[in-house]
Amino acid sequence: MIPLLTLFAAVNDFFSAVFGVLLAPFGEELDWSAWVDVTLWSVAGGIVALIVYKYVSNQKGIEKTKNQIKVHLLEIRLFKEDILSVFAATGKILVKNALYIGHNLLPVAVMLGPMLAIMIQLVALYAWEPSETGSEQLLKVALDAEHPAVASGEIRPTDVELLLPDGVRQLSPPVRTAHGQIVWKLQADTAGEHVLRLVAGGITVEKRWAVGPDAPTRVPVMRTKTWESLLYPGEDPMPADAPLLSASVAYSSRDLGWMPGGELGILMMFFALSLGAGIALKGVFKVTL
Amino acid sequence: MTRRTPPRRDALRTALRAAVRTTLRAAVVLAAAVTLLGAGNESASDAAAAPGVFVLGIDGMDPVILQRKMDEGSMPHFKKLAAQGTFQNLGTSNPPQSPVAWSNFVTGMNPGGHGIFDFLHRDPATGMPIDSAMPKEVDCEAYIELFGWVLPTGDPAENNRVGTPFWDVLHEAGVTTEVYRMPGNYPPTPSEALTLSGMGTVDMRGTAGTYTWFTDEIMFDSSGLKADYQPITVDDLDGDGVGDTVYTALKGAPDVFHLRPCDFPSGDDFLSANILVHIDPEQDVVWIKAGGDLENGDIAMPQSEAILRVGEWSDWLEMDFEALPMGMMNLTGMARFYVKSVRPDFVMYASPVNVAPAVPAQPVTTPDDAAERLHEHLGNFFTQGMPEETNALSDGLFDEDDYISQVAVVHADGDAMLDLAVDRFDRGDMTFMYLSDIDLQCHMLWRHHDPKYPQAPRHPGYDPMAPPRWGQAIDGYYERVDATLGRVRERLPEDALFVVMSDHGFQPQTRKVHLNAWLRDEGYLVLKDDLHVGAKAHHDVDWSKTRAYGVGFNGLYLNLSGRETNGIVSAADAAALVDELVTKLEALQDPKNGRSMVKRAARSADIYSGSQVDAAPDIIVGFDKDYGCSDDSTLGATPAEIVEDNTRGFTGSHLMAPEVVPGVLLVNRKLGRDGHDLTDVTATILHHFGLPTADGMVGASFIDN
Repeated sequence: MIPLLTLFAAVNDFFSAVFGVLLAPFGEELDWSAWVDVTLWSVAGGIVALIVYKYVSNQKGIEKTKNQIKVHLLEIRLFKEDILSVFAATGKILVKNALYIGHNLLPVAVMLGPMLAIMIQLVALYAWEPSETGSEQLLKVALDAEHPAVASGEIRPTDVELLLPDGVRQLSPPVRTAHGQIVWKLQADTAGEHVLRLVAGGITVEKRWAVGPDAPTRVPVMRTKTWESLLYPGEDPMPADAPLLSASVAYSSRDLGWMPGGELGILMMFFALSLGAGIALKGVFKVTL
Repeated sequence: MTRRTPPRRDALRTALRAAVRTTLRAAVVLAAAVTLLGAGNESASDAAAAPGVFVLGIDGMDPVILQRKMDEGSMPHFKKLAAQGTFQNLGTSNPPQSPVAWSNFVTGMNPGGHGIFDFLHRDPATGMPIDSAMPKEVDCEAYIELFGWVLPTGDPAENNRVGTPFWDVLHEAGVTTEVYRMPGNYPPTPSEALTLSGMGTVDMRGTAGTYTWFTDEIMFDSSGLKADYQPITVDDLDGDGVGDTVYTALKGAPDVFHLRPCDFPSGDDFLSANILVHIDPEQDVVWIKAGGDLENGDIAMPQSEAILRVGEWSDWLEMDFEALPMGMMNLTGMARFYVKSVRPDFVMYASPVNVAPAVPAQPVTTPDDAAERLHEHLGNFFTQGMPEETNALSDGLFDEDDYISQVAVVHADGDAMLDLAVDRFDRGDMTFMYLSDIDLQCHMLWRHHDPKYPQAPRHPGYDPMAPPRWGQAIDGYYERVDATLGRVRERLPEDALFVVMSDHGFQPQTRKVHLNAWLRDEGYLVLKDDLHVGAKAHHDVDWSKTRAYGVGFNGLYLNLSGRETNGIVSAADAAALVDELVTKLEALQDPKNGRSMVKRAARSADIYSGSQVDAAPDIIVGFDKDYGCSDDSTLGATPAEIVEDNTRGFTGSHLMAPEVVPGVLLVNRKLGRDGHDLTDVTATILHHFGLPTADGMVGASFIDN
């Protein structure tokens, strides 16, 4: 059986490769604002979802169900003096609504994966700003409480060592907490994708830190052993045998102009723009929603 | 029912009225624009042709110290400016207090015109001291109470200053005007010019600055502290015998939806944000998490965080204070943290919670969105009016090294704002920038070394064990301002009018005078019971027998019938009583050395003109060098002694007679004569743009263009 973390890594690699191919024609030469990218991807996502919906869903069934709901709404309006008729019609509307939701389950199930993948890729590509050269940054590491060496007390927060590459300085001693966390305050004097090495229990784990304008397309935010590794395709998941649960760098949100930035901002905009595109273009693509 | 100045809780009111104000202001601007266009305003075209004015306002810069430093060669940029143009004394206000002096400059009027007579005024109904910038009347009944929630419905607080600020005259004439950190302009008066309020701007609690002191050290008496003292415990969560975690909270804005307009917030009446401190088991270093929810003993997603070693300052840590549940209304504040000690006692300081400029919970700028725009350029910056932490130093919880390190943080913040102001200055603009580099440092550090009279006897507060660097600090601040001047001048257009001014100079204050104790001993102020020596005057004064009392640093009021609620001095007797007091005050001698303590006691009727004269103290007590009113007496108290040594806190002062503490004026133009004062600077700025002075302005331009 494939370990879950390996599967997560493969999924992320696949979608990163797909997005890499899709982004290739645009290239870095197109010096437009990031919010344009987010808008285009969201609208494109809405159109793709619309097309998928058209062919996966039972269009005739949906149309019929919606018509039946309209009939029952009209029934309520026409016979509002007859309370029994109103109750009966309301009950039928509820049943038809359930049927309508049922018609949507398959397309939603089909689209869920790709749409999540698009959102994860959008967040990875546009949510964070690499650290500025010379700025201070916190590196946070959490011990894996379920790792045998950690659970037995063999490895404690004070046993985790950080090895820094050239160009990166440690501004203060680390703080090791009673909750099994270790945090360092770092400063990078040079730009680049720095590789920070964490050593614990004889195992070395690398954590990348993007500094300066020539940072990688996907900012390396977090390596973790949890399901959250799916959300951070900028780096591989934390190795399963490491006594560390996660290692992360808290980047600032990227400025997207008028658009709200950060993870939440991008997710909100994706929902709003893709939904808006779907509704606006349903007539063009002859889709019944 | 009305009551005098309540706690300031403008956040909600601001939120509720922002839309209305914006609409009204838009209408005012439109009307002004139509007026200007219709008249084909000649002044506006003159104004547009002027090369522009840049003013550096350096609070407390003293001409004697400056001259010495220039002569020594340690202030080359000032020396160069003085040689190219003019350096002379600048007459200050009477009394020479910053809110008064800067109001003279802002309005071009004397205090009788603008109505600001002191840091503190008195409530005629109670004799209680009140902030001079705040409105006298607040409607205590202006609220709706629903299910235990209080919704204020009154108008937001407005500035008590009267008169037209020079920036409004300039803006109306089409001059792009930017005014940074103007003292006494909180709440900011409505304007379309960019203004950022300075001294007097409150923290989120509505105070001039309440810091928080977190410690597990036992403090037997914290009642006299100007701090929010937060006793904490250091928990040992992992059971290794070493304390590792502190759970506490930082208080921010008052709980605006549970307090009535005239309720004074105390104790648990403040909204708070979680603070969690992880302490490293081996090193003296901590991880501070601010804001966010506490779950399973940790704040997994703090709103802001910092790693600090002992003696290190954090950057601004932002946190939300939840005014309404479920995030319906959060008031965002920010504080800087400083770890004084980790072991054996944990001691941590948090600055007063400042209003976050990105989402200001109360107005600190005009237009309202200017704070957010400044934040886009600068990031977070001090919005509290007097950010230097004099309280912790006065309380003895900071030593001078702590204070000096905090001042460096404040100055770095000021440098960034000054750089922005210079960058934004274009030919034809008017910019004013206030610098706090000198004033409070002279107040707090003077006792270590007298920079004005280096050969004078030691200050009574002098500590022979204090390190020499504390005594050298004031000279260092002067030199720092010189470097700032050089940096600014090289980036400004050469033909722009460049003015450096200070609101007053400085003198040592070696003795503190309890003016109310003197009034008591002379029989002018009568306590209900002689045993009440030292009590607050407004609580324990027998007003039926009291003829005069002091409130504020220089103000002396008659208990005048018809003006004071319990007044007993008739209008017919008032002039004679004032004469009697003036004579006695000017003859008042220090029993320790026989020196005259009061240089000049001025009748307000003689020195003020304008619509607000009736609200002035009857006598402005101008102390001589070395003397000043005690803090106790300023607030109305009556200690046993009349005068005593001044050994701690504000050991340098300017709260004296104006002729004792003139300010400085440097201009990059040759001036024909001297003897100018603050209101002349205002007139000069307007004259430079071809504009006449506004109604009530009393100054005259010192340039001919």
